[in-house]
Amino acid sequence: MKKIEIPPEENLGHGHLACAGCGAAVAMRLTLKALGEKTVMVFPASCWSIVPGFWPYSSYRITAVHAGFVTGAATASGVRAALDVRGDDETLVAVWAGDGGTFDIGLQALSGAAERNEDLLYICNDNEGYMNTGTQRSSATPLLAWTTTTPVMQPKENPKKDIMAIMADHHIPYAATATIAYPEDLIRKLEKAKGIQGTRFIHLFSPCPPGWRMPSEQTIKISRLAVRSRIFPLYEIENGRTYTIQEESHVVPVKEYLKLQGRFSHLTEKDIETTQRNVDDTWERLQRRARC
Amino acid sequence: MGKQITFKRESEMPMISVSLGDMEWNKTGAWRTQRPFYEEKTPPCSAACPAGNDISGFILKTAKGDWEGAWNLIREENPFPGVCGRVCFHPCESKCNRGSFDEPIAIHALERFVADFAPRLSKKTGKAGEKRKEKVAIIGSGPAGMSSAYHLARLRYDVTVFESFPLAGGMLRMGIPSYRLPRDVLDRELSNIEALGVEIRTGISLGEHLKLEDLKDYQAIFLSTGAHRSRGLHIQGEKEKGVLSGLDLLKKMNLSKRIKMGEKIAIIGGGNTAIDVARSVIRLGKKATILYRRSREEMPAFEDEILEALEEGVKIRYLVNPIRVGQKDGPKRLECLRMELSEKDESGRRRPVPIPHSNLFIDADYVVIAAGEEIGASFLPEGAEKREGIVLTRRDGSTGIKGVFAGGDLASNQRTVAHAIGSGKKAAMAIDAFLQGKDAEEVIIQHLIGEGPSLSIFGYLHPGERLRNPHVVTFEELNMDYFEPAKRQGESKSAVKERIKGFNEVSSTLSEGVALEEAERCFGCGTCNECENCYVFCPDGSILKREELFSHQVDYDYCKGCGICFTECPRGAISLKEEAK
Repeated sequence: MKKIEIPPEENLGHGHLACAGCGAAVAMRLTLKALGEKTVMVFPASCWSIVPGFWPYSSYRITAVHAGFVTGAATASGVRAALDVRGDDETLVAVWAGDGGTFDIGLQALSGAAERNEDLLYICNDNEGYMNTGTQRSSATPLLAWTTTTPVMQPKENPKKDIMAIMADHHIPYAATATIAYPEDLIRKLEKAKGIQGTRFIHLFSPCPPGWRMPSEQTIKISRLAVRSRIFPLYEIENGRTYTIQEESHVVPVKEYLKLQGRFSHLTEKDIETTQRNVDDTWERLQRRARC
Repeated sequence: MGKQITFKRESEMPMISVSLGDMEWNKTGAWRTQRPFYEEKTPPCSAACPAGNDISGFILKTAKGDWEGAWNLIREENPFPGVCGRVCFHPCESKCNRGSFDEPIAIHALERFVADFAPRLSKKTGKAGEKRKEKVAIIGSGPAGMSSAYHLARLRYDVTVFESFPLAGGMLRMGIPSYRLPRDVLDRELSNIEALGVEIRTGISLGEHLKLEDLKDYQAIFLSTGAHRSRGLHIQGEKEKGVLSGLDLLKKMNLSKRIKMGEKIAIIGGGNTAIDVARSVIRLGKKATILYRRSREEMPAFEDEILEALEEGVKIRYLVNPIRVGQKDGPKRLECLRMELSEKDESGRRRPVPIPHSNLFIDADYVVIAAGEEIGASFLPEGAEKREGIVLTRRDGSTGIKGVFAGGDLASNQRTVAHAIGSGKKAAMAIDAFLQGKDAEEVIIQHLIGEGPSLSIFGYLHPGERLRNPHVVTFEELNMDYFEPAKRQGESKSAVKERIKGFNEVSSTLSEGVALEEAERCFGCGTCNECENCYVFCPDGSILKREELFSHQVDYDYCKGCGICFTECPRGAISLKEEAK
């Protein structure tokens, strides 16, 4: 087995308030390792408004700017402009928003920044719902999943919004999906994004033990199964056109992924088939795009 | 840093809401309900090794290219890696967890590789330090005797080994043909034991030249004289000229004596001795036919050996049983009965019964009887009890006579090299306990590998080091997400044409590249190899590294007990226990 190599520097300090087994905490730790100290990161409302600690404390070892829910990409555009005025072209400006702050509430600011091709790295930490406020549905919540606003009697009727397609159609220079079970892939993509000018978008998939009703020790396993079952494939899009898929050699039915999570425990065999069909369709569409 | 901040008045507060300190004061370890900790466990290979080798340990070192470290680690338990890598029946491999994934690790091939490569790098083994005053006599220089001598010398006893043959090695030299075990390999490992200060006195036979009473100077005696007497068939004509036991024939060949045997040799029996004889005879340019009274399935010889014998042209006739060796002089005519199999007997094999009036005749120039061996017990002193053909011993290897221990084939019906080596080690520990006034049985029980009966002397020699939970790691406890199927790499064998020309070794030692590849396949069940998955995936940065060095320590101040490290450890080297309430 090959050893996983990650940068040694730690830019997320101890004592933070993430739940035990938080996928996003793994994601943040790895991301800050890859981005390094010279980063200003903008945080619209999300788990990460509170996880690093409350005022006057912070466990970030980078510069963090907390911002209003809708304003992630707009604030970052402003920070970039201010740094440019100061002649600082070294510091990276990034956004770390949840799926709520990206798919729903922050979408127009993000779309605006992307259309202007602002020089920023936008990271959407996707845990498929409003987990910080008690597990409400977002437009990133997957088809048929349970949340407090899509109860078991009426689970989510609509499939997950295809944020990557939206971002690709803004023709930004770089968009990529990543998840914590593949740290080297995540770090490579962040480093690649760092070296590109313009709007870069990372769709970072982070399992959430309390919100997904799953044991905390399964976080990495479920992240890996998301890729293996193709419900969350790993790929990159350059300039909205060139697709590269990081294909997993181990492919499993989506059932393997679903069955470990309480938010899917109400699914019938028929529901699982529906989900599998949805996964297959999305995968096929992705492959079609990758071909042309 | 790391302190809580209090503002006594408004003017102390910053103008904007900027953070002033970190969160290190917040000891999130208090949230924990379960505690992860590093705990090495027992790999199934080691638990299955009758010699008690630290298999995953030595393979881990091999995978890192540390041949010498691997060699030294094997020799903590077993002075015969070169021998075992070649002739052991490797029960470790059938228990290897990798077998449930693709194919077991070629453990024997790696052991052989290490034994052949490392000594080239290593200086000779030094003496064990100043000897104690107690002397121990060992009767028999086979694998049991020499393993015991080796460990007793490491325990600084003055050890003398008495051997009846002119050369040391016992069955390793007398019973095993050199195409399986080249003599230079055996000589090298025996001389490494002698280098520890062990004296071997050859040509002295217990009963004939030596009586136990003559060994009054020795405070303990280990009997490891083996099982050298061939079991007869009790049929007419078996005592005539032109009929010889398998073991006697092998001994003659191994002592380089010429034997007139004609062209067609019939060998009676289905065990390893029969196969060894047949393959040796083929190498002398003769025809060998094995006659076995049961079928292939029941043959006690090792499968690989049977296959190689067949490749080399040995004929095997199943379900025939000789009842008479006809003709006193010259070529022999064996009268046999055809057999059929009925119900299982106490050995679990189907019992052969003769088919009436099925008599047939088989002609041969020479007949070899290899129907098993037993101990020659005429020399046994009074007080050493025998039962079911072996010397009766307690769990610690002691006999009915105070200070006299027995092991190897003499005291066991599990007659393999690895079992003999294991029993020699057990005797060394028991003799040390006996001489130092400790409870030998207790010592043995404390140092079992897993649930036993395999035994480790490492912990006895280095108390408190490399402690292992006796729990044997199962396949289900490993995380297969981190392994890809990879083909097992074995030794290559020389062509049959070349093999039968002489007594050169049949298989060759792995090359460095291949050994490295094979070692990397090892899951390392229960053994941390510092892959650092725990460090990579910890959400709380609570797996400590000291200046880039992995520490095997959890920072319990901040560890929230999520269990990710436990799940993502590929090899079950981390345990999880409930936190005390």
